[in-house]
Amino acid sequence: MDLVDLIDEKRFLGQEFLTWLWFKSDERGGTIFLPESGSDIQLVFEKHMLLEYGEGEAHEKVICRGLQTELREARTGLAMGKKLEQARVQLIRDDHEWHLTLRGSLMEFQSVRLPKTMENSDESDAPEAMEARLLDQIGLYEMAVRTVDQLYRMFLEVRTSKGWKKELSKMQAWVAKASTI
Amino acid sequence: MGLLSRSASFVRYAVEGEVPKNFWDFAAGRIAKHAFRDIDESFEERSVGWVSVANMFDNAFAYASYAAGDYLVLAMRIDERKVASKVLSKFCQKEEERVKKAKQVPRLNRAQRMEIKESVTLSLMKRALPVPAVYDMCWNLAENTVLFFSTNQKAQEVFEEFFREVFGLGLMLQVPYLVAEHLLPEEQRPALAELEPVIFV
Repeated sequence: MDLVDLIDEKRFLGQEFLTWLWFKSDERGGTIFLPESGSDIQLVFEKHMLLEYGEGEAHEKVICRGLQTELREARTGLAMGKKLEQARVQLIRDDHEWHLTLRGSLMEFQSVRLPKTMENSDESDAPEAMEARLLDQIGLYEMAVRTVDQLYRMFLEVRTSKGWKKELSKMQAWVAKASTI
Repeated sequence: MGLLSRSASFVRYAVEGEVPKNFWDFAAGRIAKHAFRDIDESFEERSVGWVSVANMFDNAFAYASYAAGDYLVLAMRIDERKVASKVLSKFCQKEEERVKKAKQVPRLNRAQRMEIKESVTLSLMKRALPVPAVYDMCWNLAENTVLFFSTNQKAQEVFEEFFREVFGLGLMLQVPYLVAEHLLPEEQRPALAELEPVIFV
């Protein structure tokens, strides 16, 4: 299968991951346990979401903005069968805080805002300082990617297992509950 | 907004093919050969080449080496002369009017109009200043993956082609399904291939 078909046919995978991530984050008030690192991270859905519905000419997009508790419109969208295509999240891991927008169908990382660190305070142009700054930046960008990968692996493991039926019914109950809030 | 800024957008690629053994020697030669060449003083339409991520005028990597630990960091700079379609259309019409008057004919045929368009495009292109665009990339050599700092599809296409031309290696955009194949153990991949979309209501 070539890449264009792969994106088209499997776009649901990334979108389902985002929806699952929202459910997972909501389950424990923004805390998710990462088995790979054996620790909790904070993942909170912020005030921007984009949902999709239908294909081809009937394709619709809905942008929802508001504070976390006010994402009612987005939740209603889910209850109407819309898919979560884009979401802005706050991610806290090991005292570092990222803000990023994830695009489901293509797994793009948009407007990734890095944590403030002590390391990148040396602004000099010396080659060593520049290399240190580059490595620091790369490390922070890669940490965001790695964390999303670890969350995605959690999703994939349950999605391809027998346990998915149970997880799906929990998610369906969550969506149904959300629409009555 | 790229690698050195506090906020950026990016996509991931997997590098396809084996990285040569003497990688840094290989890379040095290829990067030097494809370093950015300025076209401000020439009439060339387009130039694509590498510059340092720290400075878009640094094509000799004096400000920042492209080697940082186990990473190769570069910026792809594209300078392109462009003529806005409305400007082109205006100058074509102007020239058509001039020719009609000079030849004392009521209208020009298609071939004449095409000829005018071609010569007007050429003369406007020469007068246009090259517009620069810079896109950072970071190649993780241990994992053979690349972060490319733009979500613009056209920029990605140019980058994929340029990367192949420079290093002789292909790039595969890491869309969710391909990331999934990479993350899951072999025995779970058939289950992944068979997944169908679900409805959450």
